[in-house]
Parts: sequence; structure tokens; C-alpha cells
Amino acid sequence: MESIVFGIGITALTGALATVAGAAEDTESNIGSQGDPNSQVQLAPQMGYLHRIFNKAIAGEPPAYGLWCALGAGLAWAFMAMQLNAVLAIVLGCVLAVFVQGVYSTTAYLGRTASLKKFGQPVFVDILKSMTTVTMAHAFIAIFCTVTLCYLMNAALGHPFPLPLLGLLWGIALGAAGSAVGNPYYGKERQYQNQKFGAGVPIAQSGNIVRYAEAGERNSLDNGFFTAKLGGPASGVCFGLIVFLELWRTILFEKIGAGWGAIIVGILIILIFTIIDRSIEVWARKTYGPYAVPTKEASS
Amino acid sequence: MTVKIEVIAGGIPHTKIMVGGIIASLVCLYLSYLNVVTGTEMFSFFGGLAVVAALIWGSNTIKVLCSYGIGTGVPSAGMIAFGSGVIAMLLATKFGIAAPIVTLVLAAVVGLILGYLSNEVLNMKIPAMVQSLTELAVVGAFTLMGFAVLMTGGFTFAALTAGSVTIMGLSLPSYQVSFIGGSLIATAFMLGALAVQHPFNACLGPGWTQDRMLMLAAECGFLSMFVAAIMSFALITTGSALISLVVALVGWGYTYMQYIGLSKRDAASWLDAKPIPDVEGH
Repeated sequence: MESIVFGIGITALTGALATVAGAAEDTESNIGSQGDPNSQVQLAPQMGYLHRIFNKAIAGEPPAYGLWCALGAGLAWAFMAMQLNAVLAIVLGCVLAVFVQGVYSTTAYLGRTASLKKFGQPVFVDILKSMTTVTMAHAFIAIFCTVTLCYLMNAALGHPFPLPLLGLLWGIALGAAGSAVGNPYYGKERQYQNQKFGAGVPIAQSGNIVRYAEAGERNSLDNGFFTAKLGGPASGVCFGLIVFLELWRTILFEKIGAGWGAIIVGILIILIFTIIDRSIEVWARKTYGPYAVPTKEASS
Repeated sequence: MTVKIEVIAGGIPHTKIMVGGIIASLVCLYLSYLNVVTGTEMFSFFGGLAVVAALIWGSNTIKVLCSYGIGTGVPSAGMIAFGSGVIAMLLATKFGIAAPIVTLVLAAVVGLILGYLSNEVLNMKIPAMVQSLTELAVVGAFTLMGFAVLMTGGFTFAALTAGSVTIMGLSLPSYQVSFIGGSLIATAFMLGALAVQHPFNACLGPGWTQDRMLMLAAECGFLSMFVAAIMSFALITTGSALISLVVALVGWGYTYMQYIGLSKRDAASWLDAKPIPDVEGH
């Protein structure tokens, strides 16, 4: 009984860490215009819309965060193998992983922007300086929380995988959660605020992203400020739920039926979420009008 | 249907880079065998140099492959390179001193099969596919082997799985504190997979230039070598790891400054805290 209570406590802690990690990850990737909204930021100068938005295309978020978290975890593992204190080892590992993230961000921005010479898109050095540091700060929070939750799984819950492998797996999961939940909010709600709500992106409007603010010109910090309100927390809840439910079902039901209990509960959770998702979709279509047939107003 | 989006104009021909990449990686991997000959771990940094050589070659291969509309993003090419390379590399470590050569052959076979499957069975019909996937598998395998040498000092299976843990000043052999047992291979996998795709992914566009991309590839290689060298402190002697660290830092600093210089050369303009410039018609 005591071990189950201990396990549930660790589960709650990892869930909380994952929530913070998800929120920080989404804000980081939105400030960097990483993930699928990147295509419009990349396209904008080619359509004549020069902008002051940070464009760090490193990879999709899942592979990128797979690397940052695997690297943080690998370095932390190495420091612990050198008999360093676990807390210090994780912090040092994450600092070095964030250094790599920062270097990748600068080279990505410089490379993409220099290749747009033909369209006159300049390299803004101030953007490079101010955005890179802000993304690094958010990335540190995301990586640190993820590596810590991996360490808790490994050391406190006795997960058989070594730390770097756990870092790789949960890093990819973190990137996927931030990419799937947070990106639509940034890509559709933010970059196309000057379009009619729900109008999609007609070809004529490709690349016509929001570039000007109430006063002056927008940069990516404004985008991070905007998406930190809803997109970030939503990604955090998504990743937090993934981590929490995954560990919760393992801790409580693993003893039943030689491990089959946890598997059956996992399938049940998937079914429950499928039903919830479907009913929300049906409700949204009923409430906000037909999905496929455009009305006269929408097409005008 | 295959539509070639961009053509390779100017620069060093791909065949030359490929031959240079194979020779440089193989020579560097074999130079690390000096560790065994001299009984030290001082020559582990040659593994990192093999990584840099393989990544430069790999980034140009990705450029050749992704110039065709392959229907996926550039990062996927890096993933398949290492996914196919890791099999060949792990199997080849069982062959002792012949491991680098066996890696080359095995990875080429794996890549050839994958290229054949994607072109003929999945019917992608992309002209550069078979050759590129073959090359990428070898790049992936060489890079992983280079990281293994850098972190453990050897490329044999025994070196990759043996480690020691020090408890109260007593050194005990431990499988868990090793390149494979500690899953450092997972970190090496991701380090390489992102480093091989990043140069082309970052530099693509109408203003792509080869020297800038290859310089970025070298920069990514040295940056990965830098963090791998820090991890190597856990597995090899401090002095040897320090040599790797210094080599990586010097190489990274030089290539990073060069890359910034090349970006400055290629960029439309280089502005600091200036508004968006006016473009005609907008």
C-alpha cells in the first residue's frame, strides 16, 4: 500500500512537471515559428511580405525536442556516472543542451534568411539576439522538466530504461504534444488574424501573415505573448495528461493479471478519449455551422 | 512523376564530396585504432573528426535527394539515415579491427535494399533515391561509429558494452555504465540525425549556396562532437576526453565564425534594430 501511495505521489509530481514542460515548449516553438506555421513565415518574403518574425527551422518539433531532451538526459546521465549529485547533474546537462539549442536556432535563422536574398528579406541582428535568448530560456524550462520527470521515472518508479532513452522517448512525446495542440492556435489564430474567422488560407492570401502591431512592427515575442495565454497551457495540459495517465494506469493496475491490467486500462482510456473527442467534434459542428458546405457569407 | 525543384549549380561535384567523405571517415576511424596500438585513449578524438567528415558528405547527399520533391520534410532523410545505419553499425562492431570496412559494406547493403523498396515497391521512382539512401545509410553508420569511438575509445562491441563504476574508490565492471548499456547511443543517434539534416534544412531556398551549407555541416559536426566529448568524461580517461573537448571547441569556434561570415556575404542586408525595408509594389 505504501509503495502505491508513493507511486501516486511521484505520478502527480511528474504530471505537474509535464504540464509546465508542455506550456514552455509550445511558447518556445511559437516564438521561433517552428513546426508547421513555419511554412507561412518562410513563404511570406517570397510573396513580398517582408517581416521581422524569427524563423528558426531546425526540424519538426518532435525530432528537435527528441534531441534536446535526449541530450539533456545523456549529459545528466554522464555527470551522474561521474558521481555528481543528481540535481546538479540534471541542471548542468540541461544548460548544455540549451546551449546546443541556441546555436542551432541562430544557424537556422541565418541560413533561412540568407537564402531569401532574392526577395530582399534582411537579417535582423536584433531579432537574432533578443529572440534566441528568449527561446533558450523557455527551452531550458521544457528540457529541465522533461529530464527531471524521466529521472523520477527511472530512480523513483524503477523504470527499466536508462535515462537517455527515456529522454528521447518523452522528448519526442513532448514535441508531438506541443506541435499537435499548440501550433493550430499560433498558425491559424495568430498569423491569420487579419483574415475572416474560419476562412482558411486562400492561395491569394498565402504568406500574408500578421506583421504589424497596434503601434510599430510585430516580432516573435508578441507571438509568444499571445500564444502563452491559451495555446501554451493547452499543450501543457495535453502533455501533463499523457504523462499522468500513463504512469497512473501503470502504478495502480500493473499488479493485476501479470501486467495485462495496465494494458486493458490503457485501451479503456483511449476509448474514453475517442468518445469525448468525437462528441466535442459533433457538438462543434452543430454549434458553429456546417463543416464542408460553404455558406454565402463565408465565400464572399 | 518526378519534378526536380532545384538544380545543383556550381560548387564541388557530389562525387568528389562522396569519395572524400568515405576516405576521410575511414582514415579517421582507423587512426583511432592507435588507442589499441599505444594502449591509451588519447586518439579518441579521431572519432569526432570522422563524424564531421561523414556529416559534410551526408548533408550534400541530402541536398541531392531533397532537390526532388520527395513528399516529406528534410528531417525525415536524417532519420532514415540513422535508422538504417544503426543496424549495420551494431552488427559490424562484432568484426574487430575490420569493423569500419564491414560497416561500409553492411550499411551500403541495407541502404540499397531500402532504396530498392522505396523506388520499386512503393513506386516512388525518384532517380537519386537508391544511391542517396545507400549513401545516407553509410553516413549514419559512420557517424554512429564515430560517436562510439569518441565516447568509448574503441569501435569493437566489447568496448561499447563494457564500463566501470567506481564505488567508494573501488572500480567495478558494469554493463550499465557503457555506450550501449547506458543508452548513450540514443543520444548519439539524435545528435547525428539532426546534424545531418540541419545544414540543408536551414540553408534551403532560392539563395542556397554550397559552401555555406557545407560550412554549417562542419559546424553541426563540431558542436555535436563538443557535447559528445563532455559525455565521454564518464567513459574514458579525463586527459583523453579533454583533448577531444579542445579539438571540438576550436573546430566549432572556427566553423561558426566562418558560417556567420558566409551568411553575411549571402544575406540581402544585415540590419540591427531597423524597420522592415520598403519593397517595390508593397
